[in-house]
Amino acid sequence: MIRSVIALALVTLFFYECKPTIKKELPLPKLGRFEIVKNGDGVDTVFHQIEDFKFVDQDSNWVTNETFSKGIYIADFFFTTCPDICPKMKAQMLRVYDSIGSEPSLMFLSHTIDPKHDSVAVLKDFSERLGVDGAKWKFVTGDKEVIYKLGQTSYMASIADQGAAGLTHSGRFFLIDKNRHIRGAYNGTDAEEVNVMIGDIKKLLNEN
Amino acid sequence: MKISQLFKLPFIIIGVLIFISSCDYSPEKVKFKRYRVAGERLFEQHCANCHQKNGEGLRGLYPPLAGSDYLKNEFEKSICIIKNGTNDTLTVNGKVYNLPMPSIDLGNIEVAEIVTFVYNSWGNEKGLIDVKEIESLLKSCE
Ligand code: HEC
Repeated sequence: MIRSVIALALVTLFFYECKPTIKKELPLPKLGRFEIVKNGDGVDTVFHQIEDFKFVDQDSNWVTNETFSKGIYIADFFFTTCPDICPKMKAQMLRVYDSIGSEPSLMFLSHTIDPKHDSVAVLKDFSERLGVDGAKWKFVTGDKEVIYKLGQTSYMASIADQGAAGLTHSGRFFLIDKNRHIRGAYNGTDAEEVNVMIGDIKKLLNEN
Repeated sequence: MKISQLFKLPFIIIGVLIFISSCDYSPEKVKFKRYRVAGERLFEQHCANCHQKNGEGLRGLYPPLAGSDYLKNEFEKSICIIKNGTNDTLTVNGKVYNLPMPSIDLGNIEVAEIVTFVYNSWGNEKGLIDVKEIESLLKSCE
């Protein structure tokens, strides 16, 4: 009896040891619709990209796709007076900023969805209160229609102005690479998902 | 009674006394505990987004409640703010805050529970703040 138990244990141990331990790191996916196009004899995949944009930041500088072309960035949508999810998102984003914000090729882009209230001066005050570096973390405003359209079509974020019921928006953080591809989308109110994002940012920084 | 049993008697009496004193049947205390526990849950649900779970606030955006001189010195005003929100600016520990605090749809009993929690956390020990007290205080809010 004892011998068979030992034998069984050894066999189990043997198979257990055989479990493949080398897991290949897969690159982050490119999210969004894509198209297959012909390229000579073969085919190419064209991935969804963030469209051209041009907004003004808290220091009255223009911010365009070029601003981020040398590295990667995290984007989100918010407004300064938002009562419910933005405070949570900002607390989480601040955690990201504090942990890996010093990476030179990582930037942050927060679009207001309430440009009527969130003027350049209001955004400036907000970013100063948050205590973040304006060269690193851009708070941008612009034409409301343009911001909403960019949010909906480029980032596939659900944003809506429901009149008296207020503005609603997704609490997502989007991770964008230097070729304008969306490489991740995370629930910005959920610390666990934000931890995953921090891991993905590190991966993406290595890819660049 | 045997003499050895007589020796045990004081111990038994002390034991029973300790037992009784450790259970607290005071209805005030039971109510206080009930308020505070409910208040903590409501705080996490409605307030911690901005003021954070530990009451420390978020940088210059949302003021702290833990160690707040405003909370300590402005009892009536704080209760009005908790019930009605505010669009003003206000100063906490020498720093000026200007974001609006929304009015959260809370019943008076919930306000009393939250207020009891807030005023008995982070070094504050104001004791039970009853819903009746809250109701009369709320009448004087602007
Ligand atoms: C959307 C964010 C937000 C939420 C949610 C919120 N507050 Fe506030 N709170 C603020 C801001 C901003 C101020 C400062 C208001 C000002 O500048 O006029 C403030 C001020 C206060 C003050 C007075 C100043 C101080 O820090 O002592 C108290 C007390 C307070 N809040 C308690 C609460 C309680 C209790 C809740 C939950 C029922 C709550 N708040 C929910 C944002 C919020």
